[in-house]
Amino acid sequence: MILRMSRVRVLGPRELLPRTLEALQDFGSVHLSPPADGRPIAAVELAPHELRLERSLRRILDDVKVAASLLGGPPSSAGPIPVTPATWAQAARLARRVRRDAERLQSRRRTLEEERALLGKYQEVMTAFGKLFQRGVTPGVRVYLVVLRPGQGRSVDRLRELLAASLGHNYELRTQALGSGELALLLVVPRETAPRVERLLAESSVEQVSLPRGYEGQSLADAVPHMVARLAAIPGELEEVDRARARLSVRLADLSAAAAAVHDRMAQLDGMRLTATTAHAFVLEGWVPATDVPRLGGHLARTVGPSISVETLAAEHWSAEAPVVLKNPRLFRPFQLLVGMVPLPRYGSIDPTPFVAIFFPMFFGLMVGDVGYGLVLGVLGLLLRRSSRPGSQLRAISEIALGCTLFTIVFGVLFGEFFGDLGQHWFGMRPLLFGREESRDIISFLGWCIALGLVHILLGLVLGMVSAFRGHPRQAVGRGLSALMIVLIVAALLAAVRVLPHRLLTPIVVALLVAFPILVFAEGLVAPVELLSTLGNILSYARIMALGTASVMLAVVANRLAGALGSLAVGIVFGLLFHLVNFALALFSPTIHGLRLHYVEFFGRFYSPGGVQYRPFSHWRTT
Amino acid sequence: MQLFWITLSAAVAIAIPTLATAWAQSRIGPAAAASLAEKPELSTTVVVMLAIPETMSILGFVVAMFIMLRAGG
Repeated sequence: MILRMSRVRVLGPRELLPRTLEALQDFGSVHLSPPADGRPIAAVELAPHELRLERSLRRILDDVKVAASLLGGPPSSAGPIPVTPATWAQAARLARRVRRDAERLQSRRRTLEEERALLGKYQEVMTAFGKLFQRGVTPGVRVYLVVLRPGQGRSVDRLRELLAASLGHNYELRTQALGSGELALLLVVPRETAPRVERLLAESSVEQVSLPRGYEGQSLADAVPHMVARLAAIPGELEEVDRARARLSVRLADLSAAAAAVHDRMAQLDGMRLTATTAHAFVLEGWVPATDVPRLGGHLARTVGPSISVETLAAEHWSAEAPVVLKNPRLFRPFQLLVGMVPLPRYGSIDPTPFVAIFFPMFFGLMVGDVGYGLVLGVLGLLLRRSSRPGSQLRAISEIALGCTLFTIVFGVLFGEFFGDLGQHWFGMRPLLFGREESRDIISFLGWCIALGLVHILLGLVLGMVSAFRGHPRQAVGRGLSALMIVLIVAALLAAVRVLPHRLLTPIVVALLVAFPILVFAEGLVAPVELLSTLGNILSYARIMALGTASVMLAVVANRLAGALGSLAVGIVFGLLFHLVNFALALFSPTIHGLRLHYVEFFGRFYSPGGVQYRPFSHWRTT
Repeated sequence: MQLFWITLSAAVAIAIPTLATAWAQSRIGPAAAASLAEKPELSTTVVVMLAIPETMSILGFVVAMFIMLRAGG
C-alpha cells in the first residue's frame, strides 16, 4: 500500500530556524517542499558568508570524491563528526592534501607502469644479447642493434655480403629470433668504420632500434646495463607507491567522517532555501508519514522549544506533489523491487505490490511447473539469501526466487513433473491436475491459462475502477462496464458452445447490446478499440501455456537423450547438459514474460505512474 | 500425403511469426542498446519492448499445436 502522508507546516521565530533545521534533520522523516505560493512572505536567500561556505563545502566533497576514486573505493560509512567553528577549515585542508597526495601517487604509479611497459619491449632483446654486455664492451668498437620485421630475413644475407666487401672479417654479426617473430641483429664494428657501416645499413633497408627516452644520448653498450638495472628496480618502487596509497587510505577514512558532516550541513543549506520568512518568523512546509505527525510536534518542542508550532494542513491543500512511500507486509515487501522497475505510482493511486507478489510467482510456477527444477531454484535462492545483506537488492531477489520456488513445486506436483517425466519413471508420479506433455491435456492447460488471464485482467479493471472513482467517476463507470462486458462476452461464448445453458445466450447478448452504448458514452469512441485490446490482452496469457509446454518438452527430450546415445555415461552427460540449458531458459523466459504480463497487460488497466520519490530531510548515509 | 501438408502447415504457422519476431527484435535491439547507453534506467522498458514481439511466436506456437492436435499428432 501507499503510506498515508500529511502535509505539515512548521512555524517559529526566525532566530530558531537553524536549530529547527537541525532538529528536523535528526527527526529524519520530513520531506521538505517549498511553501505554497501567494503568501506575504519571502523565500530565504542565503547570506554571502553562507554562499561562501556552500562553495567551500562543495570543494571538500569534490576533493573527497576524487581522492576516493583514486585510492580505490568510496569513503566508508562513518557517522558525522561533531562540528566546531574550525571543522570546515580543517576538513578543507585535509581533503585538499589527501586529494593532492592521491593524485601525486597516481601520477607516480602511472609513470612507473609506463616506464616498465616501455623497457619491457626491450627486455627480450636485452635478454638475448645480455651476456655480451655483461662482460663489458671493448673500447674502440661501435655496437648497433637492429630488429627486422618477420619476412625481412633476406636482408641479413645482403648485409653480410656488403659488410664482407667493405670490412673484410673485421666485424661481428649475431642474430637472435624473438618471440614476436621478429629477428634481432647485433652488429659490432671498429669505431672508425662507423660512418661506412651506417651507410651500409641504410643501403640494406634496415633501421636501428632507437633507445627509449632518457637513454638517447648513450651508446647501446652503455644503455643496456642501465635499462636492465632500472627494470629490476621498478617493482620495488611500485610497492613503495602502494604502501603510501594504503597509508593515505587510512586518512581518507578520517575524511569520510568529515564528509558526512559536510553533506549534513549542505542539506541544511538546501533546507533553508525551502524556507520562507517574514521579518521575525519562518515557515517550513513538508510531507511526513501521517503516523509520525504527533511525534514530530513533541520532538520539536523538546529539542528547540515551545515557541515552535507544528500544524497539519487541511486536506484541500494536498496536491499531487505528495511523495510516495510503499509500505507492505514482510511477505510482500521483496516484490516492491519488481514494482520499483517502473516509475512510482502516483500518491492516492493503488500500489500493485500485493497483486504482483501473488500473481508473479504463480505465473512463474505455472510456466516452469517442475518439482526438480523448483528444488534447484530453491537451493540457489537459499544460497543467495545466505550471502546477501538484509534489505539489499540481492536479498529481495533471493526471496522472490523462494516465492517462485514454492509455486514451481506446487504446480510440479499438480502436473506430476520431476525433471520432466523422470518422476513418473522413478517414483511413479502421476499428474493430479493434468499432464502437460500429454497432447490431449494441452487444450486444458491453455484453457486454464486463458481463464487465469481473464481473472487477472478483470482484477486490473476493477482496481482501475476503484482508482478512478475518486477523481474521474465517468472513467470509473467505463472501467466497470468494460469488466462487465468482458464477463458477458466470455459467458456468451460459453453458452454458445453449451458449457453454460444455451438458453442464457439471448439474455446475455441483449445485456451486451445495452451495455455497449453506455460504454461508448462513458469513455468515448475509443472504448470499442480498448475493449478489443483488452480481449487481446487476455489471449496474451496463452504464452504461459506455450512456455510451459516448451519447458516440459525440452525436459522430456533431455531424459530421452540419456537413453538414446548408446553409451549410458555419454547419454547422462548430454541429458544433464540439456537439463542445465532448460533450467537456464526456465529462469530467464518465465521471468521476462511474467514481468511483461504484469507491466503491459495488468498495470495497463489501472496503474497510474508519476509519483514523487520520498526524500526525507535526514542525516547523510552512504547507501 | 496428408501428413506432409499437416506438418508443413504447422511448420509455416510457427516459422512465419518467428521470422517476423526476429525481424522486429532486430530493429528493437540496436535502438534499445543505443537508448540504454544514454539512459540505463530504461532497462525495464527495453526488456518489455523486446518481449512484446515474442507474442507473435508464442501465438504461432499455439496455432501450430492446434494444427498438430486436430490432426491427431
